[in-house]
Amino acid sequence: MSSAQDERRAGFERYKEDVENEGKPFFPYAMFHDTVMSLVVVSVIVGLACVWYFTADGTEPGLIGPHYVEEADPGTTSFIPRPDWYFYFLFYLLRIFKWPESVVLGTVGVPTILMILMFALPFLDRSRERRLLRRPVAVVAAVLTAVSMGVLTYKGATARESLGSEAVAAVDAWSSQQGGFDETQRSGAEVFAQVGCLQCHIYLGSGSANVGAPELSDYGSTTQRTIEQTAAYIRNPAEFGNTVMPPFPGLEDAGVLDDVAQFLHASSGATGDG
Amino acid sequence: MATTAPRRRRRQSKLQQAVDIPLDWLEERSGLVGATKYFLFRKVPRDSSWWHTLGSATLTAFLVQAGTGLILAFYYKPDPDKAYESIQHITNDLTLGWLVRGMHRWGASVFIILMFFHMARVFLFGAYKYPRELNWIVGVLILVTGMLEGFTGYLLPWDQTSYWATVVGININASAPFLGPFIAQFLRGGAEIGTDTLSRFYALHMLAVPGALFGLIGLHLYLVIRLGVSSPPWSSEGAGRDRAEVKPTGRAGLTRGRRV
Ligand code: HEC
Ligand code: HEM
Repeated sequence: MSSAQDERRAGFERYKEDVENEGKPFFPYAMFHDTVMSLVVVSVIVGLACVWYFTADGTEPGLIGPHYVEEADPGTTSFIPRPDWYFYFLFYLLRIFKWPESVVLGTVGVPTILMILMFALPFLDRSRERRLLRRPVAVVAAVLTAVSMGVLTYKGATARESLGSEAVAAVDAWSSQQGGFDETQRSGAEVFAQVGCLQCHIYLGSGSANVGAPELSDYGSTTQRTIEQTAAYIRNPAEFGNTVMPPFPGLEDAGVLDDVAQFLHASSGATGDG
Repeated sequence: MATTAPRRRRRQSKLQQAVDIPLDWLEERSGLVGATKYFLFRKVPRDSSWWHTLGSATLTAFLVQAGTGLILAFYYKPDPDKAYESIQHITNDLTLGWLVRGMHRWGASVFIILMFFHMARVFLFGAYKYPRELNWIVGVLILVTGMLEGFTGYLLPWDQTSYWATVVGININASAPFLGPFIAQFLRGGAEIGTDTLSRFYALHMLAVPGALFGLIGLHLYLVIRLGVSSPPWSSEGAGRDRAEVKPTGRAGLTRGRRV
């Protein structure tokens, strides 16, 4: 056996001896602290529930959010998706690595590395030293982790997504940049702006690139597809091997699927200065 | 006077027997009494502090989730046509339904925060070091499972927030290479997020994930009791130093040795 191992074992033996001779019984000493802390925790939870309930009213948000928002509606996706706060850091990570070639870094790469580091921690740091001032690497790592999680969470919380209503206002500008939309194309553009396509696709500077979705500003002039094929693609992208983009069956039900396809095919990138 | 004392003593010993007999019966057949005594009267380091309460505080938050979750399950209906209505019913009509739902909803955040705080305490105290490496690993598994519980529960109210958050979550999953699309397909239970998705999230949130959490927390606590709670780094043993070289007067204990 290595001597480091022997030292660790001896240290633990000393710990057990010390605790046996010098320690205090769990009950009532430690249990008292535990009970007080648990009461604090339950009070905080009840307090939050009360603030939430009494300041909000149904879908009207109060100090810390509404009781619920409108019922889920797969048809209208003008809603801005937002995970619960403790996923904000992941959510924002995906915005940092938003280019198609690197998106896998955000979805798999960084989280996998973090997980491996967390699991491996006790094997990476095997010294017996536990005083903070003598563990500079650990302190720096802790501070960096806390700061970056905090920043990512804050950024995720405040990330401005293009709101459907704002994007609709841009349709005029799109039209003049694309050399004028006819009525069908215009209707398609408005649907496109509102149903959430811009959450993943960029169109003439609107929206944000996410999960590797391509920019669609010049889709019409670059695609090999016919208008019918594009419509089929949007209805169910999985059929074309795209399992990332959600299917949009609601568009067909509303009779606007074809408009969206027409609009995309009328897009050849910015032509004028708009 | 002379007669009352023995009588009282006799009454006391009867009472004593009434307690002892069932306890002895239980002990002989299960060993549970001895185990409980061991749990309660085991020694913890003299200088363990408020920092050490974060673990049991997390446990409390988890138990609040389990209790309120059970009550919510009495009234919640995992069906896209009824889920939203049942949530409204719980919040607006049931006696104290708002409190149970509010506690479950905000308790989830408190639980996650406390897990991170507890983990930070363990990290800063160097409490993941020998011989507690395995318990740190169990802890990381608990953290991931706990966040999964949050993810699956978020869909259940079936309002716009929960629906679209889940759409994005599943899509992000789908964009991962190799397993990504399969996991997404499994969670969705079809091409679209709908009835099957809600059933799956309900089953995961009510049974699979909390079951795993219970098991992992049990293992976690077993290891805590078996290995003992580490002493704080500022006590002589905990700092990884050898025992005080100076002849200790009185106690060579966990706090006193620090003076060396
Ligand atoms: C969750 C993100 C997401 C949303 C929302 C989304 N898409 Fe996509 N879309 C993608 C991804 C990712 C690709 C690329 C897939 C690939 O290259 O295999 C894509 C590809 C496409 C393509 C094919 C592009 C090409 O050059 O082949 C079209 C057309 C398209 N999307 C239209 C739409 C429309 C219209 C909407 C709204 C109704 C929409 N998308 C919403 C993620 C999304
Ligand atoms: C449901 C979540 C959890 C519960 C209920 C829980 C509970 C506990 C309890 C009661 C203790 C006793 C000492 C103390 O309270 O500090 C403890 C110790 C410990 N926990 Fe946790 N824990 C949880 C999550 C975690 C996580 C996420 C980690 C780290 C990744 C972790 C790692 C540890 C370690 C290494 C110890 C030993 C510390 C020592 O001996 O000083 N735990 N846990």
